[in-house]
Amino acid sequence: MLCDDCRNKPASIFFKEVLPDKTVELHLCDECASKRGLLVTKKLSPQEILQKLLRQKSAQDEKIICPNCYMSLAEFKRVGRFGCNQCITTFDDHIKHLIKQIHQSDRHIGRKSSSGTKKGFEIYKLREDLKNALDSEAYEDAAKIRDKLKDYGIEDA
Amino acid sequence: MHDNIRWLIPSSDKTLPCGEESEIVVSSRIRVARNLENIPFELKMKQTDAEYLIGLVRSIIDGKVNGEFLNLRDLKPLERESLLECHLVSPGFITKEKPTSVFISEGGNLSVMINEEDHLRFQGIGCGLNFSGLSSEVFRLEGYVSDNVSFAYNDNYGYLTSCLTNIGTGMRASVFMHLPGLVFTNEVEKVLKGALQIGMTVRGIYGEGSEIRGSLFQISNQHTIGFKEEDLLERITKLAKMIIDIEKKARDVIMTKARSEFEDKIFRSVAILKAARTINSMEVLNLLSALRFGVGVGIVKDITLQTLNEIMVLSRPANIQLYFGEMLEEQERDIKRAEYIRKRLGAN
Repeated sequence: MLCDDCRNKPASIFFKEVLPDKTVELHLCDECASKRGLLVTKKLSPQEILQKLLRQKSAQDEKIICPNCYMSLAEFKRVGRFGCNQCITTFDDHIKHLIKQIHQSDRHIGRKSSSGTKKGFEIYKLREDLKNALDSEAYEDAAKIRDKLKDYGIEDA
Repeated sequence: MHDNIRWLIPSSDKTLPCGEESEIVVSSRIRVARNLENIPFELKMKQTDAEYLIGLVRSIIDGKVNGEFLNLRDLKPLERESLLECHLVSPGFITKEKPTSVFISEGGNLSVMINEEDHLRFQGIGCGLNFSGLSSEVFRLEGYVSDNVSFAYNDNYGYLTSCLTNIGTGMRASVFMHLPGLVFTNEVEKVLKGALQIGMTVRGIYGEGSEIRGSLFQISNQHTIGFKEEDLLERITKLAKMIIDIEKKARDVIMTKARSEFEDKIFRSVAILKAARTINSMEVLNLLSALRFGVGVGIVKDITLQTLNEIMVLSRPANIQLYFGEMLEEQERDIKRAEYIRKRLGAN
């Protein structure tokens, strides 16, 4: 099949655009697709887009500070990484557009995090306590901790 | 010497069977980033946080999956380098000053980096094209941890990561492909541009910024938010299959138009690998490329892909030293590398 535009070279790209009132279908060669701006020859990587966006600084940046880890928006723009899970909520108004530009979407539709329990932390802490109790030969305490671990289904402690 | 990770080095008696399309797809890999909600992210975490996290993850995974935890600071520089050469850790991970640890499953196909740029980086790697098998293994491992802790997560943005480039699913899927046919027919650029159009990126085999060597290419997703994990894996599998088809056609072109030229190149490569007395790792990579092509099109019949995969990993600079169990200068290394390859290919 020949290119719809130049009618000269063989078409190598099929382009389909669905508009509200009609559908446009085109078969194009590389050159004509490129002329129409449909062929991306060099695309910035997400990392490059991020770096470019972070260079846009404002005087307010120093004043917007995460209440949890005390990272400022200015610091985030300097290092390109968050300090904790609350930074993103704190900086939300200023970074929403970044996510969209980097990923072409700002809405997670993938796996959902299960409600999450602290069981792991508790078990870990109990194991540490057990180790300390055994080290200090506090065997009664150790037995109590073992019972608690059994409640979590840990029998080998 | 170097007993910490000696068990990782593949040997002929435990080479893994190769998955689908493994003459073209060298390996597939899935990496999933996760952070815990009540510990500061890596940039702001203290040494005690880092140690605590290692202990916690260890207490959760221990006994559920067979494998070993390695604290990076207990390893010698050569051993750390070797983990990198086996694609089990990232380049940034081995130079971190904070306490870091890596869990590696028996067989080496699953791993978890602790205190990388994100708290946890789960990884599954397998030979051939097999994302569905890999993803169920990686998410099973991730599930053990998520059952016991709360991950940093937000309904709008999904899993929260240190860097915005990983936010959402936190997932990066890569496929390493050997494409000598496309290199020969000059179609590489066209295919790579096509990959770029659908949000995939293409690099040389040793990651970001590395040049393309031995006709090896790594294709991976650029975007991590706005799609379901399984849809992304389907999309990258589809792309890989499309590239495989084009590569197979290009190989047919070679076999009809340039058979003698390629046969000559393949058998010369076999001869050099079987006879060389000193050889550097770059030359090995290029000769293996010709050999892999020869095995793929059925010209070379007495060498398996598993053997080639093993040589590719083991002839890297740190691995070859661990294999022989001694520190070697560059020149000695090239001699020992040649010795190992001759032995592995059944020559004298």
